[in-house]
Amino acid sequence: MATAPQIQSVIDYRHLVQDGRLHGSLYTSPQIFADEMEQIFHRGWSFVAHDSEIPNTGDFVVRRVGTQSLIAVRSKDGEVHVFYNRCPHRGATLCQTSSGHRSRIACPYHAWTFALDGRLIGLPDEAAYPADFSKADAGLTPVARMDSYGGFIFVNLIPNELTLREHLGHATELIDALLGLSPTGRIQLSAGWMKHKMRSNWKMIVENQVDGYHAPMVHGSLIAANRTFATVRDRKPTSPTRVRDFGMGHSDIDHASDYRAAGDRLFRWTGGIDPERLPGYVKAMNDAYGPEDARRRLIEGPPHSMLFPNLSLAEMNIMVIEPVSPQHSIQYTIPVFLEGADDLNARTLRRCEGAMGPAGMLIADDAEIGELTQMGVANLEPEWIILSRGMGKEEVLANGVKLAGLMDETSQRGFWTHYREVMAASQEVSQ
Amino acid sequence: MTTATLERSTLSDTAVEQFLYLEARLQDEHRYDEWEALWASEDTLYWVPRRQDADPAREVSYIYDNRARLASRIRQLNTGVRHSQAPKSSLRRLISNIEISRNGDDVEVQSNFILIESRRANLTTWAGRTTHMLAPAENGFRIKRKTVVLVNCAEAIDNLAFLV
Repeated sequence: MATAPQIQSVIDYRHLVQDGRLHGSLYTSPQIFADEMEQIFHRGWSFVAHDSEIPNTGDFVVRRVGTQSLIAVRSKDGEVHVFYNRCPHRGATLCQTSSGHRSRIACPYHAWTFALDGRLIGLPDEAAYPADFSKADAGLTPVARMDSYGGFIFVNLIPNELTLREHLGHATELIDALLGLSPTGRIQLSAGWMKHKMRSNWKMIVENQVDGYHAPMVHGSLIAANRTFATVRDRKPTSPTRVRDFGMGHSDIDHASDYRAAGDRLFRWTGGIDPERLPGYVKAMNDAYGPEDARRRLIEGPPHSMLFPNLSLAEMNIMVIEPVSPQHSIQYTIPVFLEGADDLNARTLRRCEGAMGPAGMLIADDAEIGELTQMGVANLEPEWIILSRGMGKEEVLANGVKLAGLMDETSQRGFWTHYREVMAASQEVSQ
Repeated sequence: MTTATLERSTLSDTAVEQFLYLEARLQDEHRYDEWEALWASEDTLYWVPRRQDADPAREVSYIYDNRARLASRIRQLNTGVRHSQAPKSSLRRLISNIEISRNGDDVEVQSNFILIESRRANLTTWAGRTTHMLAPAENGFRIKRKTVVLVNCAEAIDNLAFLV
C-alpha cells in the first residue's frame, strides 16, 4: 500500500517525477503545494498582468502570484510598478478590488497615502514619530524583479539567476505569433476577466491546456452540437498538428501545421470566417506585413500554448492559472483583442463566451474532468500516473525543441521535466 | 381604475408570475426542450454578465446567447454527455420580489432568485436578479430577453452549465 508523503520529510522530486510517470501525491500533498508556491511561483518568473490592462496613469489591477497579493499600477511617468498589496505601516490590505483607478493609494486603516510610484506622501500626525522616522523608508514595497515581453509583465519575488528572456527561451516566438496577428503588433486585454473556480490542482489545468488527446472524449458533446469550434475539430490521431516541448516548461499544440496542410485557406482558427467579412482587418494586415506574409499569418493563426508556470496563450484567449490549494484553483480567461482589428474583435468576444469560462461549452467540461481527476488521485492506489504516450518518438530540432503527434504527451512531459529541475534543484541547494 | 381593468391587471400579473414559476421548474428539472420552447423564435438574448452595468459589446459575459447559440447550448445538453451536467446537478430555486412593468404589449419583469445546487458533496448557493422581457403569445408568454445578474458575478464562480 502506498503511503502519502510525510509532512516535514524532504520530498524527493526526482523520484516523484519520472520520465513517463508521475506520483499521484504531486496533486494532493499540502507540503508539495507549499514547496511549489515558494520554488516555482516566488523564486521563478510568473505572469502578473498585461500592459494593456492598465493603460492610463492611476490604473491598477490586483493579482495573486503564489501566495502573494500584488498591485500592478501605472504611475505618472507612464511606468508600471508592482507592489505588495500591504501597507508598510501596520499591514492592512491597500487595494480591495481586482481593478480600478486611483490618483494615489491610501490605506483604509490610518490613511497613510502613497504616490503611484510607491512613495509615502502623507500620514496623519507625522510629527508624533521619532526623529529617525523617515517617510523615504516607508514607501510601498516593490517586487524584487519585474520585466516584460510583448506587454506581458512578469515578476520574480525572490530573485533567481535567470533573466526573463532566459526563462521564456523559445517561448518568445509564441508571444510573437500572437502579437503578429495584429497589424500594429499590439493586443488589448480590455474585455474583463472571467474567473472560474476549478476544483482541481493547478498543474492539471496546465497539463490540460496542451493536451491534444482529450478533445474527442471531453468535448464530444460540443462537437456534436456545434461544429464551428475549429480546434475541437482537429482531433484525429493522424492530424498534422504537432505538440511541441519548447524547454523551460513551455509547450504548445501547434495547430498551424494542420492549417498549413489544409491548404491556403485563411481564418480556420476563427472557426472559418469568410475573409470577405473582415475587409478592414485583412487590408490592415496586408498593409502592415505585405500580402504574402500577411497571408501566412492569417493561415497559421494564434498559438495554443502554456508558458510555465501560469500563462496560457490559448488561441484568441489568454488564460491565467491561480493556485489556491492542492485541490483548488482559479482559472482566469479574457478574449484577446487585436489592435487594428475591430471587425474581428467583435467576433472574438462572442466566440470566447461560447467556448470559455464557467458557462462555456468547452471549458466547463474541462473543469468537470479536472474535478473527477482530483477526486481520483486522492486514492492512494495505483500510485503512479501514466504519462508515456509517444515517449521516445519525438523529433528533436536543432534548437532542442521537441515535436510529436497531436495526441502525444510530449507537451506535458516538457512541463514536468522543467518542474522536476526547479523543485529538485532548489531543494538540493537548501540541504 | 374600474373594477374590470383592475381584475385584468391582477390576472395578468398572476399569469406573469406563473410563467416565471413554470420557467423555474423546467430549468430545475432540466427539461431543456420545454424550456427552449418558452423562448421567442428569433431576436432573443440570454445574457449573464460578468459585472453589473457591463457593456456587452466591449466586455466578456459568462453567457451572451443569441437564438442560434441558445439552440446550440440546448443541443449540447441534450447529448447527455455534456460532462459538466452529466450527471445533472440537483436544483431548486425560489423566485421572489417580482416587479412587473408594461410597455404596450411587452412585459418587463424583474425578480430575485435563490438557487441551491447539489452536486456530489457540494451544496452551492446561487443568487441574483433576473430581468425578463416577455411578449404575449398563445397560451401565455414568450421570452424575448433574459438577463441574470449574479450577486457574485464579479468573483470567481463555479461551473454554470445548468440553466440559470
